[in-house]
Amino acid sequence: MITKVVMEALSPTMEEGRVITWHKHEGDAVSAGDIIAEVETDKAVMELQARGDGVLRKVVAGEGTTVEVGKLVAIIADADEDISGVAADGKPPSDVPTPAAATPAVPAPPTPEPAATTSRVKASPLARRMAQERNLDLQSIAGSGPGGRIVKRDLEGARPAAARAVAAGGYEDVPLNQMRKTIAKRLSQSIGPVPHFFLTTEVDMERAAEAREDLNTLGEQRISFNDIILRVIASALMRHRACNAWWMDDRIRYFGEVHMGMAVAVEDGLITPVIRNAHMKTLREIAVESRAMAERARERKLTPEEYTGATFSVSNLGMFGIDEFTAVINPPEAGIIAVGAVTEKAVMRDGELEVRRRMRLTMSCDHRVIDGATGAQFLQTVRTMLENPLAIVW
Amino acid sequence: MSADLAVVGLGRMSYEEALQHQRAIAEARIRGDVTRDVLLLVEHPPVVTLGRAFDHEHLATPRAELAKRHIDVFEVERGGDVTFHGPGQLVGYPIFRLTEHKEDLHWFLRALEEALITTVASLGIEGVRNEGLTGVWTHGRKIASIGIHVKQWVTWHGFALNVATDLSYFDLIVPCGIDGVQMTSLAQELGERAPRDLWARALDSVVMGICDVFGFRPQAVTLDDLLAATQTGTD
Repeated sequence: MITKVVMEALSPTMEEGRVITWHKHEGDAVSAGDIIAEVETDKAVMELQARGDGVLRKVVAGEGTTVEVGKLVAIIADADEDISGVAADGKPPSDVPTPAAATPAVPAPPTPEPAATTSRVKASPLARRMAQERNLDLQSIAGSGPGGRIVKRDLEGARPAAARAVAAGGYEDVPLNQMRKTIAKRLSQSIGPVPHFFLTTEVDMERAAEAREDLNTLGEQRISFNDIILRVIASALMRHRACNAWWMDDRIRYFGEVHMGMAVAVEDGLITPVIRNAHMKTLREIAVESRAMAERARERKLTPEEYTGATFSVSNLGMFGIDEFTAVINPPEAGIIAVGAVTEKAVMRDGELEVRRRMRLTMSCDHRVIDGATGAQFLQTVRTMLENPLAIVW
Repeated sequence: MSADLAVVGLGRMSYEEALQHQRAIAEARIRGDVTRDVLLLVEHPPVVTLGRAFDHEHLATPRAELAKRHIDVFEVERGGDVTFHGPGQLVGYPIFRLTEHKEDLHWFLRALEEALITTVASLGIEGVRNEGLTGVWTHGRKIASIGIHVKQWVTWHGFALNVATDLSYFDLIVPCGIDGVQMTSLAQELGERAPRDLWARALDSVVMGICDVFGFRPQAVTLDDLLAATQTGTD
């Protein structure tokens, strides 16, 4: 079996890491758990463990190479397995070794000084690519990375900042914690370059509510509306693959599996644990897993692989009494559905006024991936399935 | 949250011996035989250590010259470049299981900086971060260095706070690989204001700083007790 070894996120704020030592070499047999390499971020070195058995077939990132988080660094496979597909698929990391020693002139100023003083600008491969895309001059940008190296965050700061609102009355400055910084970066990255559009629909939840009540009289595991919604959206995505995709700058990646991100509010921010292969799981399994994930998220026990790799996300603020809202896409995902509260409403039905339980769903779409009609058809399926919840059982 | 932190004072101990203890305790922490996080505090005889980001140019003195001055050189698995440890420098090795704190190496480095900033503040020195240059600085001079290693989210290696270090030793290297960096110590910064029991106060302050930032209750433990636990799993 082929196991891709990728640069692991050793911190939510880590954008790239440097491979410093290979403990195994091409051709060496490896077992899951073996230390295969050491990776450095900032002044921390972490051992990279093999996540599969086989032979270290290919080292994509040599020692000294800086690799973006999530990018391929090596391939583990059986000795005679064909790995050409994987090797070609994994975009090789840029082969620029980081200058081992950062050497700013004076270490004094706490604010980053412009890196323009040297003729050769120090910048991460990612920063170089971003600068090229946005037509920014690296010479004019102050690097805040080690030794004045320009990293991704510096380029984000390079955009003209929106006018800052100054409170006339009292105000409170709260310093950004790391999670908040990551959220801000992600979200501004999202609201900025992602061309969003929004679709809203109102769903009759009467039958879903009845089904839920029935299910909850049967088993010990309580089923929430959110579990039903996650399950339905996963099924609907399998029927509308166009919405289960990543925007990857130079390509769109459509997925054959649904890894569902579910936004969870935690004490000082938001985290989106991922229910893997949600389309293959039963409602009960989803109920159990989403409960456990939310719990682990609040206890900060999620491992990086538990909150990365979602193909689509759902954010539910219904429990806070929010009727309708728009959620911000989590790039590279192409869509997210915002779920409002289930509330009783007076609606016309077959010419009669009835009180029904209703819920509003709003889907945010990345227009580069999802067209209006595509998104509308998908949302239509979600609505139909929720209004006919037997679909869950099929 | 207020977990117990086993604080172990090693006194003056060779780098090599302390490193062996660190590795043994870290492995035991990974296995779960040691159930609490551990902070080793130690003072080393003069030694130069080379981290994983080490650049040969930053060892400004030939190894033969260092040997003549009885300064050992070690290449070790921590992050960072070259550094010096010696008398008057308080070295701390936090062996923490980050899964019980936060699985975030950057957070851990920033938290260590925070703890050291708290430490020096309690001794009357304003410590700051220097963006992109991990460590603690005061008025542009570096007073504490950090370099860690992590295995299965258990940390070892750690920080070095210059309390009354003979700073001339740093001339032998390019500390942390930063050209022109000026190293300083608590004694140097405080000058005449330095209390006579500076070392003891620095020890206390470091322990309290770490406990404040990471939410620990400190408990003094002897090395023998801890090592017994690494073998039998009775901690």
